[in-house]
Amino acid sequence: MISVRGLRKHYQVHKRPPGLKAALRSLVHRDYTAVKAVDGISFDIQPGERVGFLGPNGAGKTTTLKVLAGLLHPSEGEVTVDGHVPRFREEAFLKKIMLVMGQKQQLLWDLPPSETFELNRAIYDVPRLQYKQTLDELVSLLELEELIGKPTRQLSLGERMKCELAAALIHRPRVLFLDEPTIGLDVSMQVTMRAFIKAYNEQTGATLILTSHYMDDVAALCPRVIVIDKGQLSYDGSLDALVQRVRPEKRVVLRLGQPVDAALLTPLGKVVSHEPGSAVLQVQQDAVNATVGRALSTLPVTDLTVENAPLEEVMSELFQEGKARRAEAAREEVPA
Amino acid sequence: MNAKRYLRLLGVQLKASGLLALQYRADFLAEGLTSLAWTFTALAPLFVVFGARPSIEGWTFHESLLVVGWFTLLQGVLEGAISPSLTGMVEHIRKGTLDFVLLKPADAQFLVSTQRFLPWRAVNVLSGVALFVYAFVSLGRWPSLPGVFASLVLLGTSMLILYSLWILVVSAAFFVVKVDNLTYLFTSIFDAARWPSSVFRGSLAWVFTFIIPLALMTTFPALALLGRLPWTWLVGAVVGAVAFAAVARWVWLMSIRHYTSASS
Repeated sequence: MISVRGLRKHYQVHKRPPGLKAALRSLVHRDYTAVKAVDGISFDIQPGERVGFLGPNGAGKTTTLKVLAGLLHPSEGEVTVDGHVPRFREEAFLKKIMLVMGQKQQLLWDLPPSETFELNRAIYDVPRLQYKQTLDELVSLLELEELIGKPTRQLSLGERMKCELAAALIHRPRVLFLDEPTIGLDVSMQVTMRAFIKAYNEQTGATLILTSHYMDDVAALCPRVIVIDKGQLSYDGSLDALVQRVRPEKRVVLRLGQPVDAALLTPLGKVVSHEPGSAVLQVQQDAVNATVGRALSTLPVTDLTVENAPLEEVMSELFQEGKARRAEAAREEVPA
Repeated sequence: MNAKRYLRLLGVQLKASGLLALQYRADFLAEGLTSLAWTFTALAPLFVVFGARPSIEGWTFHESLLVVGWFTLLQGVLEGAISPSLTGMVEHIRKGTLDFVLLKPADAQFLVSTQRFLPWRAVNVLSGVALFVYAFVSLGRWPSLPGVFASLVLLGTSMLILYSLWILVVSAAFFVVKVDNLTYLFTSIFDAARWPSSVFRGSLAWVFTFIIPLALMTTFPALALLGRLPWTWLVGAVVGAVAFAAVARWVWLMSIRHYTSASS
């Protein structure tokens, strides 16, 4: 469905040191530096897949999405989406895709969302009957009845985001790019959005690429993740395997009937947190069984669970690794 | 380009603007009144200039009123149908929401050009027509049928030129960072069109005829109504307007290619 080969996107950015003198100088002479937003990325995505793009701010996730959507021309490399070259922006291509941006909105601000839906119906040439069906479905799934008649500016962020999503799906795109669709939403709204996005993918077989800062979004939606760091691909595979690779240790979470002495915990594993009623231990995977056994026999345990390290920590460790590797490479480049 | 589809799209866009206009009923009165006030202020310089002499460069006071009439009428078109979309476009670039326009499977120039209309500003069109009637009553004669026909053709070319100028200004918005002032630039250029083109001398006359064809927009239709416009000029105006529109379209396409959205 999607194929990306050696994608590079470099920007020329005008750089200026601070100060009035430098500002005046920059009027006549400008120094440009190339920013490598995306620097040689390749991957393939099969139809119907749900893939999460992960990476720190400025890693190149959004740039990659925009190249895939045809909004940015790649500096180098080949990109095809369902047989189309995105940058040509052919009508047939644009009718198949949609990009939802959590931080930008397409809804007409002063008019009710229903007017944006109607506009999109006309732009995408959606037949009346199909439009009505799709809209009825969206309205009931996202619980929009009360919202679509109110001017957009009177809606809350969460309500607006639901309508944004509906506006984006009027033409039933086969490829959906979601750029931080849950940003700023409360937890229950995030759950609603995730469930809906997953249902859309399962019902229509649409291919889905998602970027998000909320790891829960990615964990709930994407069996496969692609990690981009400083414009380069640093991981492509299942989320579970990523966690296994970066943090093979497991966490044993204990609920305790009564407070225990720290000295009792340290022999069991690395103590991550310790409070009067609970403790979290980090242990090697092969030592989980032994640790659980010992904990149950030596401590007043009322409840016990074994978990992976939180995704946030896994990611931050992965990015730290990348940073260290780059620093290392930079040192080697400098002649002794 | 599928004409029927785009006509339907235009209908939907017009409907949205209509709904918006009805939502802000208070605006109707306020904007209508301001437009009227501006029509009269537009006349003020004319009174000052013609107070001192009976005619300028072959234009009497009442003949000049025709130029002001066309200016007012076009101002109605500009403020009602062209400027609102310009403001919307500048907003799109600033907020980075132009991406949504470019994602749509329809011509982007068409979509941004039709995104917003302010029907209340059409009051100016009526003021313009009122000025024509007053001028001809004062002149003591009526325009000939071919004259009216020619002026209607020229209304078309004027709108095309105005629109193309607008597209050029919008295209500039892709290259300069601060775009808020573009609207002012545009209105100030347009302001020069209230004078018969023959009052401009030397390089200004050249600029306003060939670079920014203001003469074509207001003076030609006024001459046509007076029956003083040679047929060759009419043909020239049509050819010129079409060429100007073609250049604007080309610049627009180049600008879109240059566009890289506000955040990467």
